Amino acid sequence: MTAPHQYRLESVRKEFGRQQVALEGFDLTVAQGERVALIGPSGAGKTTLFRMLNCTIRPTSGRLRIDGEEVRELYGRRLREMRRRIGTIYQQHNLVPRLRVVHNVLSGRLGRWSLLGSLASLVRPSHLEAVHQALADVGIAEKLFSRTDELSGGQQQRVAIARVLMQDPEVILADEPVSSVDPSLAESIIRLLITISDQTRKTLMVNLHSTDLALSYFSRVVGMKQGVKLFDTAAAQVTPELLRELYSGHVPVNGAAGRVREAEQEVGEPAHWGAA
Amino acid sequence: MDEVRALRAGARDRTRASTYVMLALLGALFVWSYQGSEIDLGLLFSADGGGAIADYVKRLFPPDFSPKVVAEAVVGAWETLAISLVGTVLSAVIALSLAFFGARNLVYSGLLYEMEPRRRFGLLRRVPYLAAKAVLNFLRTIPEMLWALIFVFLVGLGPFPGVLALGVHTGGVLGKLFAEVLEDVDLQPIESLQSTGAGKVQILFYGILPQVLPQFISYTLYRWEVNIRVAAVLGFVGAGGLGQRIHIALSLFLEQQLLTLLIALYILVTAVDYLSAYLRRRAV
Repeated sequence: MTAPHQYRLESVRKEFGRQQVALEGFDLTVAQGERVALIGPSGAGKTTLFRMLNCTIRPTSGRLRIDGEEVRELYGRRLREMRRRIGTIYQQHNLVPRLRVVHNVLSGRLGRWSLLGSLASLVRPSHLEAVHQALADVGIAEKLFSRTDELSGGQQQRVAIARVLMQDPEVILADEPVSSVDPSLAESIIRLLITISDQTRKTLMVNLHSTDLALSYFSRVVGMKQGVKLFDTAAAQVTPELLRELYSGHVPVNGAAGRVREAEQEVGEPAHWGAA
Repeated sequence: MDEVRALRAGARDRTRASTYVMLALLGALFVWSYQGSEIDLGLLFSADGGGAIADYVKRLFPPDFSPKVVAEAVVGAWETLAISLVGTVLSAVIALSLAFFGARNLVYSGLLYEMEPRRRFGLLRRVPYLAAKAVLNFLRTIPEMLWALIFVFLVGLGPFPGVLALGVHTGGVLGKLFAEVLEDVDLQPIESLQSTGAGKVQILFYGILPQVLPQFISYTLYRWEVNIRVAAVLGFVGAGGLGQRIHIALSLFLEQQLLTLLIALYILVTAVDYLSAYLRRRAV
């Protein structure tokens, strides 16, 4: 028998309220250590999918298994244990702004930390060496004791990555990790995530708003549109036609080179994707 | 163009009708209340009334600054300050011990309970929430003055019943405000803490308290400003402080001593206002 898949989704459906269907008939399998990029327009259901993959919300119907465990059957301690094994980096605003950086990084340990230990650390921070190392890995070691809300958007995203390093999960989910940072920083953050997953053999799944980062850094790309999977293929197989269909004609790209291409593609039309 | 004009006219008609009805109702309510309050401006502004006021003001002066009276005023002011301070601290303790149960998102619904199997314990989960809400409402609806009368009856005269009255009523007020702050907390940091496998108590200390504490402190300080004035009035029902001395001076027609006490109250209230405003600026 082979090892169970990291993720195995079978006809997963998620609806909010009666009318709003966020995800429908979704199948996906992701192997341990695989790197996958998800692309698609806003409202495609990418964030909803990630919130199911990190056990924040439940599928309305269908099966979602992580490492062979049926998520529907998890609650209490076992649910927390599962969450601990999955690290998430969000688009933005996912740190506690009034806490110092050290506490935000240490919060990655909460899943396997005793209650008393974690509370004592709020008074007198512990594991300082490890926190310092994690911050050094993301290039902002000197911010150890800064207040988090004093950092720039890009620096906060690095703190979020340092927190995931502290969590040391089996899977890293990054939900549009670069859409709130400067385009020049975007590439370095993606590269950092890939290095981390490479060195520690972690599964990496990234939601990306732009296609060029996805196609140049990930071998497997999944396209989503209106809650449905449009394609799931090797990056080399993603054709311009496929992208046009995915984005209904307006293909968003990232970075300076990307913007030129975007301008060439959409002559006379506003480049509204960056604003979303 | 014609359509725009027609739409605007229609809108104006509708606004006018409903606005006039509301204004008429409010006017009627005011007239009714005015009569109900037995207001007689003649009494206040007649030559007689004016003379009585001028006469009384004359008798207030000069304020009595004899050492004995000044010492009384200082002791009274100190007592009022102590009542308001200890009462407010007590109220914060009461509010903190109930507010977390009075916040829906912490007790039974929303993000923290998204993954709980449905119907596990069902309605039973709401019991602590409903109980906390009921207690807070009860504490809040009975005014401080009434609480003071009750506590004077229970523990006797003096500052202690004043402290209890302030603590209990303000505890209800602050508890409601704290619960509302907790229900308004920004969910994104909490979602990300939960996704690391943090437990609910850990989420409370790492994600929720850092967000709400500045507002808790600010509300508590503001209520302290209110309570210093209330503490002065509570003395009228025997709950110590400046109020009790003012009540005595009023009853015994000791007008010059009364003015000294009022000056002390003015200084005390102003000082606390400034101090509280300064601390609130620091807290946020």
